[in-house]
Amino acid sequence: MRLLNGTSARLSIQLICLLAAAWLVSPPAALAAGVMVTTPQVRAELVAHAPEGVAAGKPLMLGLKIEHQPKWHTYWKNPGDSGLPTTLDWTLPAGFAAGAIEWPTPQRLPLGPLMNYGFEGTLLLPVRLTVPADFAGDALRVSLRAEWLVCKDVCIPESGEFVMDVPARAASALNGALFAAAEAARPREAPDARAEARIENGALALRVAGLPAAWAGRQLAFLPEDGGVIANAATPAVQWQGAQWSARLPLDEQRSASPERMTAVLTTPGEPAGLRVSFAVQGPWPTVAPLPALAAVQPAPASTTPPMGLALALLLALAGGALLNLMPCVFPVLSLKVLGFARHAHDRRAVFAGGLAYTLGVVLSFVALAALMLALRASGEQLGWGFQLQSPAFVAALAALFTLIGLNLAGLFEVGSVLPASWASARARHPLADSALTGVLAVAVASPCTAPFMGASLGLAVTLPTAQALAIFGALGLGMALPYLAASAWPQLARALPRPGPWLATFRSLMAFPMFATVVWLIWVVGQQVGIDGAAALLATLVALAFVAWALGNPSLGLRARTGLGTLALLVLGASLVWALPSLRSDAQAAPTVGSASGSTSSSADARWQPWSAARVAEATAAGRPVFVDFTAAWCVTCQFNKRTVLADARVLADFDARRVLLLRADWTRRDADISAELSRLGRSGVPVYALYAPAGGSTSGAASAAPRILAEILGVDEVRAALAALP
Amino acid sequence: MKHALLTAALFTSLALASASALANATVGQPAPAFSAVDTSGKTVSLADFKGRHVVLEWVNPGCPFVRKHYDSANMQATQKGATDKGVVWLAINTTATDAGDYLKPAAMAEWMSKQRAAASATLMDSDGKVGRAYGARTTPHMYVINAKGTLVYAGAIDSKASANPADIPSSTNHINVALAESLAGKPVSVASTRPYGCSVKYSSM
Repeated sequence: MRLLNGTSARLSIQLICLLAAAWLVSPPAALAAGVMVTTPQVRAELVAHAPEGVAAGKPLMLGLKIEHQPKWHTYWKNPGDSGLPTTLDWTLPAGFAAGAIEWPTPQRLPLGPLMNYGFEGTLLLPVRLTVPADFAGDALRVSLRAEWLVCKDVCIPESGEFVMDVPARAASALNGALFAAAEAARPREAPDARAEARIENGALALRVAGLPAAWAGRQLAFLPEDGGVIANAATPAVQWQGAQWSARLPLDEQRSASPERMTAVLTTPGEPAGLRVSFAVQGPWPTVAPLPALAAVQPAPASTTPPMGLALALLLALAGGALLNLMPCVFPVLSLKVLGFARHAHDRRAVFAGGLAYTLGVVLSFVALAALMLALRASGEQLGWGFQLQSPAFVAALAALFTLIGLNLAGLFEVGSVLPASWASARARHPLADSALTGVLAVAVASPCTAPFMGASLGLAVTLPTAQALAIFGALGLGMALPYLAASAWPQLARALPRPGPWLATFRSLMAFPMFATVVWLIWVVGQQVGIDGAAALLATLVALAFVAWALGNPSLGLRARTGLGTLALLVLGASLVWALPSLRSDAQAAPTVGSASGSTSSSADARWQPWSAARVAEATAAGRPVFVDFTAAWCVTCQFNKRTVLADARVLADFDARRVLLLRADWTRRDADISAELSRLGRSGVPVYALYAPAGGSTSGAASAAPRILAEILGVDEVRAALAALP
Repeated sequence: MKHALLTAALFTSLALASASALANATVGQPAPAFSAVDTSGKTVSLADFKGRHVVLEWVNPGCPFVRKHYDSANMQATQKGATDKGVVWLAINTTATDAGDYLKPAAMAEWMSKQRAAASATLMDSDGKVGRAYGARTTPHMYVINAKGTLVYAGAIDSKASANPADIPSSTNHINVALAESLAGKPVSVASTRPYGCSVKYSSM
């Protein structure tokens, strides 16, 4: 055998070395598709977990393991404001089915004013496979085409083709720890959690109860699985109450979905796995088409009084309640209480007890009224504070009540003679109940007079949880009763009142007149609501009522006279009610609004005012005109006061004309869902509200036109003129 | 008291946070006014085009999703179809000057002309004012404003969210549909879709 000669041997060896070197340095990707794909940003690998091999009924999991380079990330099933989720496209033999990706708990990835949801570091996206019963092969061939978007500051869409053979009768458990970790990082279902959500003022109001005790009080993040609904980058207002978490999640202004049910993952720092909660979404989604209101969906427009803490709100509610005593709504009832003091001036304990009973009556009535309003709002009614006075029947009933009280004070009849003897003695025996009921009466008529300080308090109160809102209304009641409680507690004042004598009867009759004045006002309100015919019908009913009261209650009439006249009076009352009731129904033809009703006062100021609509505000501001909106109601005394003083002042009107301000009046005398919605959007729940909208256009930031400037509830000429001067 | 302070603090921080957040643009509302300088140095305002339809296209040549539509000539065709009908097409680049893929105005103009784009003007918005006013999140992100100045469409350019040009023929072009409906005086049937693409690289304020 001849050996290779030297040269050819050298060449052969060199050739073999060259080939070996070439094989060693060629990148793995140049080979046929395998289990790994490497790019400059990630290393992606197809992995399997089959601890008992591949057989029907045995656990079999596949997954894509992605190891990201530092600062690079891929996205979750809801990528957030931008990005795309990783997709896995499996090719499996017949009979095999791959489940959906069992995503681990994602992270929030903020980027400037945007928010994404995704993963950094090492990620495993596992998928569960079902093996058909008739599988009998030696190995399972799996092919995968995966696509992912990997971003740092730039984004690179990448993809990989993977192939793997999983042996059927051997265990593939090398990646067991990896799959276990992915399972531990999966969002857990919270079995005791109950979540409910409602659309409220452009945000999703979410409440989750029954969270694990270890999570109470911690900072939670809300990651929705449904995209395009909430504003991902906005910080929600959150609150813990025991084990219940509530959040106000602002909606995306360019929302592209309105789902009936949503699912989300709640995460907290320090817990690898989040909690998965699912909830129905209640309440109509705001339409993406033309909305009646302008501007930002953010909770509080920047130019209004910033929402205050609870303690401050309570304090202001207290002050506002005390001020209510000065309102003409309450003053007549004030006179009743003063009479009470005069009667019992020497019995200090009785007076103080009466004061306490009155306070209790007032506070409980406020709380009950507030609870009623909140309950109705919760059921979807567009209500605001003062809602009870929007019903003409209620106003008429109040007018009747006050007429009777006035006539009683004037001496036309005695209550003791009208009511059965047992009732009268019950009243005398239970002066405390009497005082408490007086408190209730005072509240019934005082509530619509929103004094200064009350507006912001109430606006805040209706957004708070029920207990806090009721506390604020309770504070209001306490403030209102405080003067009497104080007076009843200090004997000096009681002693200062003169002892009962003939002057008392004169005083009592005198107090009838404020009562009658209030009746006049209430009849005017009814007239605004249902027209002059309805008001006349009410007047007739009041006359009939007076007749009944006199016939039945006048102590100077004999029994026979009383029976005869009483029957006649009741018949007359019945007839007048038959006439009056239909015209007092809430859906009766309302009087023409502000324009012609106030035309009768022939004030030149009223001709300038036009009926409000949100579209008109938008049009005017877009056209460069400022807009001044007066949210008013006939039954709101402060509103009427401002209307006849500041808003009729020649200097203010001249300023309005000079700046071409469009004057709009939003009349809330009757129920109006659009006005109620606009009031709550402005952070108020009652009238008056005075809003000055600056004209849009010219400036680069569109926000300037959006949030109106809200003026004080009792207007001042200088304040209005200064606000107009500050317009661009 | 502590709770009240916390509530007050939360509300204040919310108010502040919302001040720096995006968007006042809402579909169905007047489109926010704006003014920006284009690649040739001229100032262009939305008010200049009163009475005409305007399309806003957020663009960034460094983004693979933008390149998907430009390399396949899909964006240019959409632009030409719109401008031929008298619609104003404004391409807006809201990339911060310190971002990796920032292009100077001259380079941006050159890229647009090399791509044979048919936009009426290309605006440079590196301080992010216009982007924030419209809540632009992705590139591309499209807006259609009608002749009355109302925003009638906001969202993606088409219905298939991917970086693959092969998906374009089988997806619906939302801009073509919205313009056809709006120019005919009809309400836009699909007024808001979820935009897809790379994040807009806002300057940190």
